[in-house]
Amino acid sequence: MVIKNFSSKPRAAFFDFACCEGCQLTVLQLDDRLLELMAHVEIIEWRQVMSGRGDKYDIAFCEGGVVRNEDVDRIRSIRDRTDILAALGSCASIACHNSLRNEWNVEYAIKHVYGENAGDFDLIPVRPISEVVEVDYQATGCPVSLKEFVTVFEHILTGKIYRPPNDPVCRECKQNDYVCVYEKGRICLGPVTRCGCGAACVAHGDACHGCRGLVDDANTDAVFKALEPKSRHTIMEQMVRKNRLTETDLMKKLSIYDPPKKPENGKE
Amino acid sequence: MTYRTISITNLNRLFEYIIESKDLFAPKEREDQPGFYRFDRILKPDEITLSYGTTTIPPKAFFFPPEETLFTFSLSDEGAKLNPELEEAPFVLAGVHPCDLAAIEALDLALGQPPADHRWLFNRRRAVIIGVDCTPDEYCFCGSVNTLNSRNPADLFLTPVSGGYLVEIPTARGLELLSSVETFEAGPEHLEEAETRRKEKTAQLTAAFNRTSADIAGVLESGGFGDIWKELASRCYSCGSCNLVCPTCFCFHTDDRFELNLTSGHRFRSWDSCQFLEFALVTGGHNFRGLRRNRVRHRWRCKFLHLYKEFGRVFCTGCGRCSRACTADINMADVINRLVHESENHSETRPGKEG
Repeated sequence: MVIKNFSSKPRAAFFDFACCEGCQLTVLQLDDRLLELMAHVEIIEWRQVMSGRGDKYDIAFCEGGVVRNEDVDRIRSIRDRTDILAALGSCASIACHNSLRNEWNVEYAIKHVYGENAGDFDLIPVRPISEVVEVDYQATGCPVSLKEFVTVFEHILTGKIYRPPNDPVCRECKQNDYVCVYEKGRICLGPVTRCGCGAACVAHGDACHGCRGLVDDANTDAVFKALEPKSRHTIMEQMVRKNRLTETDLMKKLSIYDPPKKPENGKE
Repeated sequence: MTYRTISITNLNRLFEYIIESKDLFAPKEREDQPGFYRFDRILKPDEITLSYGTTTIPPKAFFFPPEETLFTFSLSDEGAKLNPELEEAPFVLAGVHPCDLAAIEALDLALGQPPADHRWLFNRRRAVIIGVDCTPDEYCFCGSVNTLNSRNPADLFLTPVSGGYLVEIPTARGLELLSSVETFEAGPEHLEEAETRRKEKTAQLTAAFNRTSADIAGVLESGGFGDIWKELASRCYSCGSCNLVCPTCFCFHTDDRFELNLTSGHRFRSWDSCQFLEFALVTGGHNFRGLRRNRVRHRWRCKFLHLYKEFGRVFCTGCGRCSRACTADINMADVINRLVHESENHSETRPGKEG
């Protein structure tokens, strides 16, 4: 991890790999506060908002996932040309729903989607950029939370290590006094998902889908155990009955953003 | 103790009188989720529901908010400037159940001891508290932790009787507030009716401990519950909901947040949970409770052993919020009874004192 004290105004750039570019749009939602941001950095490359290219950067913000061979070369080249690399959003940090493609082998997936044009694409299994090159700062989220982006930005500029929040979304639900999603008869991944979003989806009447990825010691086994008929909480009982929920449904839900890695789980 | 009675019309007048000069917070049905209640700002007395179940978030939030700014800071050439932020306006908190009153009393002990948490004390002095008697649900076990009839630190306490409420007036502040409306001296029939209600309430309690709450410290101290903690840890999400809805948990996390100008910001504190992985993580990377089973074990030992030894009371008021909030079904009363059962039946065969 690189920590840096900048002697002059750092040159920053934004890049995107396979993604919806929603994380960059989120940063743009700073609106006139972008001017405050630009008081600290000189933005020399940002395809979504400006023309112009740079070749050396102090800070590179990258969103998106690595899905083609050429992406590997490109992210390595960016890594070589920047002092600090910050992964923005879940695609760049944990592979996000791009990685749903990894359920099939590349040849099958490419033919299924592109048919006779399959040969035009040089696809490889999906990885977040953090699995290809070393990343200095990382913020998950789909999209990244603007508040967290500002925090990461502040940490980079003031030369501090950034530790992403590692508590579950339940923390933010309870602190905001939101009624538990399970009480409303829906399944929610809040208990095992990294917080930092302010429980945004629950605030708007939805459930947590786990976009920020699992917390470091997520007990995903417990999520399955809670569904077992012999030891079901009254609220769980009502939720399961209402949704006719099965273990497969739950596994699918858990796999959308950050599939649980079995060997690392189950720490008691 | 003085007893008076008040009609519903006069109680509403009292609330109106309060609203004229102060903020009034009381249980109100949630607009986003009917059937659920929360302590909310009241603008008209008819918004209040005094016969509510349990709120998700306990009323301690009025004295110790889920997240609060401790001070704002700005760095300039002249150095750092700090602005402490404290709200000063007095307020009235109405409709507090006996268990939640007991929790505020417990926190007065924990946060009031030197070095006192001045924010807690400051906010406590701002408030007049009106308690109200409750109807237990399936998660309540106040009968097991001596909070069934808690009154402290209420300034007034209401029990529903025919025609209105029986009012207990434990403090001078309560008496002063009540003098603004017409009340009547309570007769023996009112006291009897309130007593009958209390008996009915006790009979409705389904969850209970097998031992008195004071005995639990000894049970926990005898140790040897490794298998129970392991089993609970296999089901615990470590989501912290139990702590975050608890009316007596008082651990918090402190951090700084900067503005985009990088020269000003604020320091805040927010409710924390001992069930979170990083709760006991310290500089240098050591985690005192990195194992989930140690975190689970800590919760029971903190509430029923450590704090009991320090303050002479258990830090659980039987409100049942944690048992309800835990969708993994780790139920406070059930766990206590398992511990008691284990200590009674397997004292010979149990391993050492660890855990």
